[in-house]
Amino acid sequence: MTDAFLLIGLPYLAVFTCVVGCYYRWRTSRYSYSSLSSQFLENKQLLWGSAPWHIGIIGILLGHAVAFCLPEVWNSLMSQRVVLIIVETIGIALAILSIAGLGVLIFRRLTSARIQAVTSTMDIVVVSLLMIQIILGLLTALQYRWGAAWSTGTATPYLWSLVTLRPDISYVADFPMLIKLHIVLAWVLVLILPFTRLVHLLAVPLEYLFRAPQLVIWNTRRRQENAIVAEIKTESRREFIKAAAGITIAGGLISIGAFDKLLNFFKGTPHDETAEVDILAKKLRRLQQTAEERALELERKKNEYIQIATLSELSPTKGKYFIDYAMNPGLVFKGDNGLPILISAKCTHLGCTVGSEVDGQGRILCPCHVSYFDVKTGKPNDEAPAKLPLRHFSWVLMDENGKIILRQNPGKPVEGEITPEVLARGNIYIVKPHEESA
Amino acid sequence: MDVRAQVSMIFHLDKCIGCHTCSVACKNIWTDRPGAEYMWWNNVETKPGTGFPTHWEDQEKFNGGWKLNDQKDLKLRSQNKADAFLKLFYNPNQPTMEDYYEPWTYKYADLFSAPAGNDQPIAIPISQVTGEPIDIKSGPNWDDDLSGSPIYAENDLNLDKLTEEERNQLFEVERLTMFYLPRICNHCANPSCVASCPSGAIYKRGEDGIVLINQEKCRGWRACVAACPYKKIYYNWKTGKSEKCILCYPRLETGQPPACFHSCVGRIRYLGVLLYDAERAVEAMKVSNPSLVEAQRTAILDPNDPKVVESALKNGISDEFIESAQRSPVYKYVMEWKIALPLHIEYRTMPMLFYVPPLLPVMGKSLNGTYEQTGEGFFTGLAESRLPMKYLASLFSAGNTTVIEDVMKKLMAVRYYKRQTSVNDMDVSQILRESKLTAEQAQAIYELTAIPTVYERYALPPLQREEAIENTCSPQACKGCSGLGFNEAPARGC
Repeated sequence: MTDAFLLIGLPYLAVFTCVVGCYYRWRTSRYSYSSLSSQFLENKQLLWGSAPWHIGIIGILLGHAVAFCLPEVWNSLMSQRVVLIIVETIGIALAILSIAGLGVLIFRRLTSARIQAVTSTMDIVVVSLLMIQIILGLLTALQYRWGAAWSTGTATPYLWSLVTLRPDISYVADFPMLIKLHIVLAWVLVLILPFTRLVHLLAVPLEYLFRAPQLVIWNTRRRQENAIVAEIKTESRREFIKAAAGITIAGGLISIGAFDKLLNFFKGTPHDETAEVDILAKKLRRLQQTAEERALELERKKNEYIQIATLSELSPTKGKYFIDYAMNPGLVFKGDNGLPILISAKCTHLGCTVGSEVDGQGRILCPCHVSYFDVKTGKPNDEAPAKLPLRHFSWVLMDENGKIILRQNPGKPVEGEITPEVLARGNIYIVKPHEESA
Repeated sequence: MDVRAQVSMIFHLDKCIGCHTCSVACKNIWTDRPGAEYMWWNNVETKPGTGFPTHWEDQEKFNGGWKLNDQKDLKLRSQNKADAFLKLFYNPNQPTMEDYYEPWTYKYADLFSAPAGNDQPIAIPISQVTGEPIDIKSGPNWDDDLSGSPIYAENDLNLDKLTEEERNQLFEVERLTMFYLPRICNHCANPSCVASCPSGAIYKRGEDGIVLINQEKCRGWRACVAACPYKKIYYNWKTGKSEKCILCYPRLETGQPPACFHSCVGRIRYLGVLLYDAERAVEAMKVSNPSLVEAQRTAILDPNDPKVVESALKNGISDEFIESAQRSPVYKYVMEWKIALPLHIEYRTMPMLFYVPPLLPVMGKSLNGTYEQTGEGFFTGLAESRLPMKYLASLFSAGNTTVIEDVMKKLMAVRYYKRQTSVNDMDVSQILRESKLTAEQAQAIYELTAIPTVYERYALPPLQREEAIENTCSPQACKGCSGLGFNEAPARGC
């Protein structure tokens, strides 16, 4: 339980407090967003304190950060013994450097009367905690050797588990007390950061790298800009109020509906057997439909030819619908020569199904937007919204034994011998389109 | 041509009596807050002397200002962009409190609360930093009037350029000479403090060229303190912010001259607008030392030139501002008469505060160890002056003695001219011709120097309070609380 709090609760609390606290301090007290320099009051000892401390701690933190952010890279490096030894040595050296520096800083702070005049309680808390933390880290490095290597399998996944919001302390639960203390103290330092001089971490002036040497501010220009901004703000406020009113009304209506639903939910639905039968029937119909479609698709996938009609049932004035290979509707008519005409029934305008009745001029009508298509050529009339002609399909005629007697590809002459008996008992098949031939 | 307006200043050193009224006026308004006690935005130094902070002119030590690199580019002496980040941890160019002084007050309460005894109670001095009793070792004007002292005057860096003989002459007790040098922020046209600020908190106001520090943005890295060669930026150790002379902009914006100007007993201070070419300002500072004074003059523009006026208007400089530039006393002293010079222009920041060098120590000479005023002429020649030209050149013309001598000749010519008009015992036409002055100019110099009205001394540009962004609370309301220019008390330093 304690572990769970210190290793899961505390980290989240610390990060939350740190983010909110830093933001709040930035908004309300930007003036104090720095580390109060005391170099002016005491210069000599500061050199031997501040410089080694900052170099040491920045080096160590960088090492921690790389191991956390790039565990794989870090691991592959640490798997080489020489690199591992070098990294550990550098780490320990930096730790000693920063302990020495911090030692000087603490000594200076406690002994110089001038520095005491600018020292707050939090300053003492911070330097003490930092000192303890570094000593803990150094002891960890010495006592539990090769932390640079084992941390990627323990501390890093623990940290990542926190970052990914799936906290798992099993990685670090078996750590000895020393290392657990180091981790907990790290979270404590994050926790108190916004309330101490440590906020100067966030004041690193990186913008200095990129700015021009001179900085000139024109108040009159700034005033004009501010006036424009103010104008935009009032304008957008007006818009905002309008939008807010709209949203409120819509939201009100929706919430009335939601409230009704909520009431119904708590009341529970009344048990009605006929309604249930209806719903089940609907479901069944939907399933059947799906099954049919699937069967048709399967059939089209398997077969080169699909029977769509017999020749004898065709009429020149009334088409028979069928489903083509693309699962779209098609129409088959009897032509002048007694042979079938297979034409797509999917309107080239917006995809409606074209009607099957042939009018006096040999045309079929799409009822949606009144396009007349010539059955023989497939072409639409001039005034029609559809501009492209309907496609004709390839077909074959087979006898009852499945022997191909006649074959026609669109726009090509009929292959095979036409005899009356063939016409009398032929079955019409649509031919699977082949991308290559098309 | 990128025309900018600059509220600039003339300090007429011949008129300065070293009374420190300016310093006190400034202190009472701006720097009597905790952490600011040691600051003297305006101070008065005795020259020769070591100044405040001690040896501020020693750029070998403090590394202030700009230097020309091999490519004839201006670089900050104190830092470059990369090592500026290392210097955040420890800045080796920083002055410390020892270079200024530890501020103190007296335990006045002891005078009233001491137990009855045989002796008079005394108020002992206590540090304003620690509150502990201190042994006062130095103060802001510790070398005041001590031009002959071996600790102060003889350590003046500007004497390095003098020969041994000249130094001895200068310091012969009977021949002691000195003058006063009041200093405020120069509000430079090419400020090194602005360029050094990592946080981008220091800026130059476009309208009037006043250099200010945004206290909210300042993070107390103190790069500016090191970079300012005049050491006119001070670090407030209590608030952790840098502060500097603000040319009393709240007063300027209400039509009053700055407090140090207003209070000046000798009326040595003049205030007026100069128009200058911002494009030229940096280029002008890239020439060799002896040409710097002349180069700065080429960057300053004639406010009566229609072309300049046109570009100024295009740049958003108001008619009123241009009008005030046209009657500016600073333009007359610097450009028309060329008798006002910048202080230590070899720091290449293009200071916009100009000094009329002091003629008085120059006029007198010594003969057989006594002060003599007779000679071949009524006044002595420059070569025999008590204050060597080299010394003045080191201060005001980057070592170029010709520039200084030209100024001195003009100043002397004005005196000859005035003697001639009032006593009528000499012919001055030759002297005027040699000093390149006309009689009208000599008369004008005399009038503006000796009998100017307040409106002639301060040609104030019509700044409007409503134009300003930096609204401060009343200085009275902020008294006792640090954090300059805030309407509410800052988080620390109160």
